[in-house]
Amino acid sequence: MPSEETKERITKVVEFGRTVLHYGWIPLIIYVGYTRSTPQPTLIKLISPLA
Amino acid sequence: MASSSLPEKDSFDAAPLSPPQALPSSPSPFLNTVSPLTSVYNRFYEWRKSFDFPNPGTVENLQKEVKATHLTNFIFDGARADLTKSLSMNPAFQVTHAFALGSQTSAPSYNFGAVFANQNVFLQGSIDHDGNVNARMNQGWSESNVTKVQAQLSSQPGHNMVQMEHDYQGLDYTINAKAINPWPTDLTGMFIGNYLQSVTKNIAVGFETLYQRPTPELAELTTSYLAKYTSTEKNWIATAQIQPAGILQATYWQKLSEKVEVAADLQLIAAPQRRDAITTLGAKYDLRMSTFRAQLDSTGKVSALLEQRFAPTFAFLVSGEIDHFKNSAKVGLGVMIESSSLTPEEMGMPPQP
Repeated sequence: MPSEETKERITKVVEFGRTVLHYGWIPLIIYVGYTRSTPQPTLIKLISPLA
Repeated sequence: MASSSLPEKDSFDAAPLSPPQALPSSPSPFLNTVSPLTSVYNRFYEWRKSFDFPNPGTVENLQKEVKATHLTNFIFDGARADLTKSLSMNPAFQVTHAFALGSQTSAPSYNFGAVFANQNVFLQGSIDHDGNVNARMNQGWSESNVTKVQAQLSSQPGHNMVQMEHDYQGLDYTINAKAINPWPTDLTGMFIGNYLQSVTKNIAVGFETLYQRPTPELAELTTSYLAKYTSTEKNWIATAQIQPAGILQATYWQKLSEKVEVAADLQLIAAPQRRDAITTLGAKYDLRMSTFRAQLDSTGKVSALLEQRFAPTFAFLVSGEIDHFKNSAKVGLGVMIESSSLTPEEMGMPPQP
């Protein structure tokens, strides 16, 4: 069994990873899609529902 | 004598040439040592291959056809609008804005989604107005190996979920392993493993084992059994799943013609404290510009959903449900608009004259 200290550290790391994923997941997909798309779309078309 | 041994030798030489068991040109001493094992395995593999059983599909997709025919997964109430924008076809990249309001069961909502997919990777994310994120990632390693990760991330504690799974599709079997909310320090969580094997060209049987460990002191193991019968023409499928707690789910799906599919689902609970059964019957019509689904179930609900496409980019949805036993009704109206920044040539369509 890992010690209390290690457990605490794992909890912190998981919590940090969760926060990063929570705020970073959608921007990541937009970034990946934006850079890999052919042809590359304009940013306004990406975000606005009407453009 | 020589003539009889010659063809045998030929077939033996030809066997290693097929890709899965191609032997290296210069076998190492290690390979020489284990060669009796590999040759036994190869013969076993060849023997299994000779039956020519199909892959039974995944356990998750056991009732896929029934779910696609019934409208349980499609029905909505209130008003909704989905605006989808395709920004690229290859690799696929699209964003969705979904608005919903006036529903009896859920509050008005806005949802933004993004999807990116290429040959091996599928990334999907959506965020609602409260900041809850749904994330999904599939990574295909080869034809038969897929790893999937799903997560629900919320700022409220207790609403987070993560699910990791791996799918392996073999020659005539499928294996899937899943972990839901695993916690590394005390190994709690939910773990699911399932196996589905074709035993004849039509019948596949399998099991699903669920290992629940909500706290380190408490662990529970339950196994349910599955069976699937696919007709030779693949136009009807029957499935059954039985859980030891006394739950039986049986489904039947049939494609009556190119445009009409019908499905039935029976759920039977015969536990000591509760006895219940629900039957659902449904039909789906795929017409040229519309899809119509109708459903009737034994709880007294009659429902229908019409999806009418006026143009390739514009669809109109009407749904309705009447609960005869509770004397209540639901109506839903929706529009689906797809726009694209691409020219028809870029979408891979033939140029218009």
